[in-house]
Amino acid sequence: MQIFVDANGGRRMVARLVSLTVACGLIVFAAVVGGTLLEMW
Amino acid sequence: MKRAPRLHWVSILLGLLVLMSVVSFHAYTAIKPEPVQHAREHRELPERTLALAFHGGPDPKWTPRLLTALREAGVKATFFVTGTQVTRNPEVTRRIADEGHQIALDGFRVEGDLGNPLNLAFAQAALADVLGTHTRLVGAPAEVDSGDRDYQDIGTLVKMSLQHGGGVVRLHDDGSIGADIARELAKAPGYRFVTVTDDRPVEATATERFTGAVTTWSQRNGGIVLMLLGTSIAIAALLGLLRTLMQLGLAHTDRRLRREGEQEPPPWFAPPVSVIIPAYNEALNIAATVRSIAANNHCADVEVIVVDDGSTDGTGDRAEELDLPGVTVIRQTNQGKPAALNTGIRKAKHDVLVLLDGDTIFEPDTIGELVQPFADAQVGAVSGNAKVGNRKGLLGRWQHLEYCAGSNLDRQILHALHCIPTVPGAVGAFRGAALTDVGGVSDDTLAEDTDLTMAVTRAGWRVAYRQQAKAWTEAPSTVRGLFRQRYRWSYGTFQAMWKHRGALLENGPMGRFGLIYLLAFHLLLPLLAPVMDLYVVYGFLVADAPFALIVWTVFLLLQTASAGYALRLDGESLKPLWVYPLQQIVYRQLMYLVVIQSLITAWHGTQLRWMSVRRTGLLTDAPGGTVHVT
Repeated sequence: MQIFVDANGGRRMVARLVSLTVACGLIVFAAVVGGTLLEMW
Repeated sequence: MKRAPRLHWVSILLGLLVLMSVVSFHAYTAIKPEPVQHAREHRELPERTLALAFHGGPDPKWTPRLLTALREAGVKATFFVTGTQVTRNPEVTRRIADEGHQIALDGFRVEGDLGNPLNLAFAQAALADVLGTHTRLVGAPAEVDSGDRDYQDIGTLVKMSLQHGGGVVRLHDDGSIGADIARELAKAPGYRFVTVTDDRPVEATATERFTGAVTTWSQRNGGIVLMLLGTSIAIAALLGLLRTLMQLGLAHTDRRLRREGEQEPPPWFAPPVSVIIPAYNEALNIAATVRSIAANNHCADVEVIVVDDGSTDGTGDRAEELDLPGVTVIRQTNQGKPAALNTGIRKAKHDVLVLLDGDTIFEPDTIGELVQPFADAQVGAVSGNAKVGNRKGLLGRWQHLEYCAGSNLDRQILHALHCIPTVPGAVGAFRGAALTDVGGVSDDTLAEDTDLTMAVTRAGWRVAYRQQAKAWTEAPSTVRGLFRQRYRWSYGTFQAMWKHRGALLENGPMGRFGLIYLLAFHLLLPLLAPVMDLYVVYGFLVADAPFALIVWTVFLLLQTASAGYALRLDGESLKPLWVYPLQQIVYRQLMYLVVIQSLITAWHGTQLRWMSVRRTGLLTDAPGGTVHVT
């Protein structure tokens, strides 16, 4: 088994979940702030 | 191979954008331009009615005094606040609202700068954060100038304020005079005081309050973010400088020692050698590789073993067709490079083994040069000098520069520190006993050469570098190919570092210098480098562009000089140096993307397999002019 390789894929799933949460969070964050500023413009 | 993770790039990109926005907003709020006075519509007030309109605040010192004076006089006024001041003085802003005065907006950074509609949005956001409201009264109407910016005499100011017998009077609460004139005007007989309009503030929505919290946080803490960025850059700059100094100093010492060695050369060492070439789908290059080995001028027996690792393009056939004496071709099902190497090692009959890739060309004296360090019985492995064969085009030149100014110079430093972490797969030699000590080539990592070298060093063998042993290798000719190759190298190196992390607690040179060197310059520096680029962009776009240009140019010149020195040390022409500045724009970014991707892949635990580089057979153009590879 190669170094770092996750045999059961659990770590991969957690990592993907974290990436997805961060990406979605940042998109929502940017949309809310940007959208509100545009609205107030 | 499972698909390499990608989603994190969206997070990283967005994260960087947010970071850039925070520091840019902070810088924007820190600048105070000249105020602008707009003449807006006339506000009709009844006779002898005054609306006191204060501008430029709220001010932490003078506004509270003014508020006290207004309270004592029983006068309600209108405060045309500016957004950045609201964020700086939230308590004073709340007191204005709590004491029943009207809050209006007249600017964001300075009074009157609402000509830019984004400033109005920022100012409303500041109010939303501090008061939870937004105001409809934006920009002062036509006002009676009290003259408080031009005169100090209270009598004059009162006279000017009352010159029209009423109306909206323009005053300022960012100085001492505001409270005094308010007190005097309140005493004016027969006057009634009102606010500019009867509008009440409207409650801000949740998103407005959230946006206000974000912009307020950015204005207040952008400096801290900037400081953290600055610290990262300082560390990156120090590491870069340290590396350059080490490269220059140690490479120079190494060169001096080699020259001294050349004056009194040790007796020529010529042991018999087994050359092992693991090859998978190398049909385009294998003939040139084997021919170049067969053309060696080594003074002892040279056995060549080509291990065809289940190629589907007839690599084994091409090697056999050459029908060269001393060349054996072994075929096996595809098991990966480490297994192919181990097959070759098992079949080898000599104690000194030269390992090279199927896309590499040796010069006639490469084998002879490569084995010289084995005269020292403590040497277990020797790294040769891998050079880019296909160095035409921008990508080829960039890689050529990197091989000379990066890898080979690194190897010279690490040779001086006795901790070369990688004997490259392209050109390296091992003592059979050292390979036996470490149990052959492991398939624990994708960088089997680094893994093997680290294991050999940890087993107590010395690893040497022989600059004169040159080998020409085919570098990837496309950006995608380059990314895939470096991804494998970088990921494999991290695997090897992790596998051999125990060396940090050992007394050997790999733990004391090797791993720390790799951590500092192959992990930390590439991770900090993007911050440097970000800062340069920030410097150019937001901060001091000439200063950013000077710093960037100085670093570039320093690095170019270092690369030039590396080329000279390697006996190369200085001509390709002209592409070095361009390397800073595309190539360097590609390299740190590789490091980030490798780290993320390690975190994900994705199983990566060998990613073969598409061959072009361009090695026939290699500048190893003495080699005939037709």
